[in-house]
Amino acid sequence: MIKDHLFPRTVEETISLLEKYAGKARLIAGGTDLIIEMREGKYDFEVLVDIEKLDQLGVIREEGEAIFVGSGVTFAELEESELINKNAVAISQAASLVGGPQIRNRGTIGGNIVSAQPAADGVLALFAFETTLEITGTEGTRKIPIKEAFQGIGKSRIDPTRELLVGVQFAKRKSGEGSNYQRIAIRRALQLPILACAIFVKTRNESIEESRTAIGPVAEVPFRVMRAEEYLKGKSLTEGVLQKTGEIVSEEVNPRHSKLRGGGFYRKQLAAVIVRRGLLEAAAIARRSEACRRVS
Amino acid sequence: MKGQKPLGRELAIEINGAKEKVFCLPGETLLHILRNKLDHTEVKEGCGKGDCGVCTILMNGIAVNSCLVMAYQAEDKQITTVRGMGTKKNLHPLQKQFIEKGAVQCGFCIPGQLLTAKALLEKNPSPSTENIQRALSGNLCRCTGYKKIIEAVKAVSAEHK
Repeated sequence: MIKDHLFPRTVEETISLLEKYAGKARLIAGGTDLIIEMREGKYDFEVLVDIEKLDQLGVIREEGEAIFVGSGVTFAELEESELINKNAVAISQAASLVGGPQIRNRGTIGGNIVSAQPAADGVLALFAFETTLEITGTEGTRKIPIKEAFQGIGKSRIDPTRELLVGVQFAKRKSGEGSNYQRIAIRRALQLPILACAIFVKTRNESIEESRTAIGPVAEVPFRVMRAEEYLKGKSLTEGVLQKTGEIVSEEVNPRHSKLRGGGFYRKQLAAVIVRRGLLEAAAIARRSEACRRVS
Repeated sequence: MKGQKPLGRELAIEINGAKEKVFCLPGETLLHILRNKLDHTEVKEGCGKGDCGVCTILMNGIAVNSCLVMAYQAEDKQITTVRGMGTKKNLHPLQKQFIEKGAVQCGFCIPGQLLTAKALLEKNPSPSTENIQRALSGNLCRCTGYKKIIEAVKAVSAEHK
């Protein structure tokens, strides 16, 4: 049972508390995943350590050529952030689709990462931006690429009884870059996705210089379709190229057959469709910004 | 663990403008203490896991599912329940329109719908139908089909113009 719920005022105090309770204390942010799991009896920790008073975890700010998003930023804040909408619109789009308004007012990007669910929209979007995570513990601070943060469904490499995810960082959008998030679900709210993808593209003179395609839930963690990314290098998004990209994506993804989320075969086909849509939207943004640069 | 202190403590929470003090255990949710310790049974329990919105309250003006807020997280916050929106003699415009438009059938989802709508209108006094649908997308209703609820919210925003 829970014996205490503490509200440290600094990151140092937070880490001290985790250390003091030696694995029996656990961090809580919005609690929209954690509280449900607690009530299901999934855990045996005794103390909750709340990040609520850690103001620095609630910021979104520019850091030189990068954007830093604190782990305590809610999905609602991500959705409305001008900085995120301008630089990484796929992230605000993904955030806007999580759960429903009440969930988005509480759920945080940090919690989304540490919960490590394969269908996590926030995580999926971050995969398209080569995001790094900043984690602080008793051993000090470390930075890891987001793809190294997971070891299985619901299993994060970040231990919330010993370390604090401080925030995430990704590059600011340069001209010629664009992104988009696509999501298919049974309802428009309060539903995990049947399939979703986050797309990033960098265009140059009408062709794709670089792209990233992250899809989920098709595996334990978001899946980057590296073969499609390779294929698209130097190509223009003609009908033929989109068709071929779709084929590659369908071949590469292996979603399981799910009673709740749709058949494996259906989702394999769906993957091609949503990647196509995402590429076109992301490329439109990229081309517009490229044109602005050329004009000026 | 050595030197254990006793479980729970008194929390100061403001509810509908009134400062309350309530003894809470660290594992209790805000929904639980509202209903069972503070007699605010106008806050309903539905799914208990944030999927229906029936337990929605406003915390510092923001709509949240009280089943997913720990009691300790509500300390020093301002909580608004539907009881804080109006009285029989002095209905909130939303309550008035919900009645007039026939937006209420069994009534169970209504406290949550009203509070979410109140928060919406405070942020956006002239929402479109789409804005209203999106804002209320976390409040499920099994009776009405939502049409009258949306009309009621629209009517209040029209009054405001």
